[in-house]
Amino acid sequence: MTADAARRANLVGALITIFTVICAVVWCFPLYWGVISSLKPEDEVVRPYIELWPETPTLRHYVFALTETQIGTWYINSIVTAVGVTILTVSSSMFAGYAISQLRFPGRRPLWWLILASFMVPTQVLIINHFVLMANMGLLNTWAGIILPQLIHPVAIIVYKQFFDQVPSDFREAAVMDNASELAILFKVYVPMNWGVTTALSIVTFIWAWNAFLWPFLAVTKTEMMTITVGITQVWDAFGVYYARQLTAATLAGLPVALVYLLFQRRVTQAITLSAGIKG
Amino acid sequence: MADIALTNVSKSFGEVRVIDDLSLSVAAGEFVVFLGPSGSGKSTLLRMIAGLETIDSGTLTIGGRQCQALAPGQRNVAMVFQNYALYPHMTVRDNMAFGLKNIHMASDEIARRVNEAARILEMEALLDRRPSQLSGGQRQRVAIGRAIVKEPAAFLFDEPLSNLDAALRVRTRVELAELHQRIRSTMIYVTHDQTEAMTLADRIVVLNNCRIEQIGTPMEVYSNPASRFVAGFIGSPAMNFLKVELSGNDEAKLARLGDGSKVDMNIRVPASGSYELGIRPEAVRVSERADTTSGKATVVEHLGDRTLVYMQLADGTPIIAQDGGRSQVSPGDVVNVSFDTSELHLFDADGKTYHADRQDA
Repeated sequence: MTADAARRANLVGALITIFTVICAVVWCFPLYWGVISSLKPEDEVVRPYIELWPETPTLRHYVFALTETQIGTWYINSIVTAVGVTILTVSSSMFAGYAISQLRFPGRRPLWWLILASFMVPTQVLIINHFVLMANMGLLNTWAGIILPQLIHPVAIIVYKQFFDQVPSDFREAAVMDNASELAILFKVYVPMNWGVTTALSIVTFIWAWNAFLWPFLAVTKTEMMTITVGITQVWDAFGVYYARQLTAATLAGLPVALVYLLFQRRVTQAITLSAGIKG
Repeated sequence: MADIALTNVSKSFGEVRVIDDLSLSVAAGEFVVFLGPSGSGKSTLLRMIAGLETIDSGTLTIGGRQCQALAPGQRNVAMVFQNYALYPHMTVRDNMAFGLKNIHMASDEIARRVNEAARILEMEALLDRRPSQLSGGQRQRVAIGRAIVKEPAAFLFDEPLSNLDAALRVRTRVELAELHQRIRSTMIYVTHDQTEAMTLADRIVVLNNCRIEQIGTPMEVYSNPASRFVAGFIGSPAMNFLKVELSGNDEAKLARLGDGSKVDMNIRVPASGSYELGIRPEAVRVSERADTTSGKATVVEHLGDRTLVYMQLADGTPIIAQDGGRSQVSPGDVVNVSFDTSELHLFDADGKTYHADRQDA
């Protein structure tokens, strides 16, 4: 490469770097603005100009959110429902993915097409059906009512099937020769050989379930049964909406997901890549 | 150890018949090798015995017990796979114990069997390692150990040495032969490598096009091939085949080669006419005089203990002859050869085979 070409390549690289940094700042700014605003008194938040740092930082809104609202209960509801959705989704997808990938039974192909087809139906289309069904079953305002309609995750089945398909058939045959039952083959051979997928899917499902808003918002009307995402909408009083309080509750709601992401960054990226690959 | 018998077994994949009405019996303690080219049905046959492929018709008995309807785990056979199929997340010890845990064997008995197999295979130091920490040869031994701990009625090997390098393959082959001598268990071994077949087998089953071409001891298969295919498949370099015209009476026949040379045949064949003459390179000796015929050397391979001379007869027929290790033959030389007439084979157009000193094969 000549010196000119090298210089040109460096320049292009530098421009791309600057562009990505700008994009990152644009993407991060609302998060920064939300956190900073939660540390400002309300009158500072509503000032008509931008202040990047609080003039008089305060934790008043955090004290309010933690003591005057039911945020503790909402946290528990979110944890129970998100963990429930994660465990049930991942385990049922594991079974379904294994069955479609490894077992031969009548109707296997139509079942697979059905799962692929269900992948193309947006949740919003089904939401009224879900509501009527849950209402008829008396499950509105319950954890089960929040969890059940969120268990439809064809993408997790597709990911599992793809990974189980890639396990060389020798392993299955060796396990069959070793007298292993189908359950033993699944849990002692296939799942341990694909721990990365299970971890990645668990994390991403947990994040989806934690962030879910539309369905929990419809399924729950009692304040004490709300998840944190729905609960934030309740942080107002007789004098109306306080932006700083709202942003404080939003910050608190996002905290666990941010922690999960920071702790399992690589796995989350892997999971997103997996599901993005499926979505094509 | 147990005997294994396949009686009139057939197998099809869709419309394609891969095993056609095949019968075979393996004696208890015998080492039988299924040998054949790719697609000959040898692996399918092994997998049918293992239970990994169903048997469409016919019966399979192992130790006198009908097994064709039993699940693989219930047939009391152990299989060593080509790619070893060691569970990567388990230690060597867990890999070996997996099958025994599945049948809920007492843990002290599992430990005893695993330690005993590790001792036999000299891999006690490897028991707590994972497969990724082992060399190819060590993985191979673990795969065999996993089979040994089951104390099966028979061992089934599916091309177990094909992933090893040449030197390790030779060493492991010897170890396998020693193992068979030591445990005297019934073993069925699939390979397309004739050296493995010749060195390991008590009997070789040569398969081609989904049927058995010949069953016999290695020397029977080598010396008295039952068909043109077996004659060409066994032996390296391969047997020479020459078109000949046979004349003469029942007692003494004369074969005329393509270049006009004549060979006295001490083979009794029912009729004169066109045949294919088979003779192994070691029976075509480079000689001082043109006892049989002569040709022009094209390639000379010095193998140390012997020399292979690739030559062409006057009519262009290629033939391989053998000379001593210190052969002076060079490419381009005209070379005289003599045929050992006790090592001749004749193949007719109908697939019948005739050997020297024998009427029929």
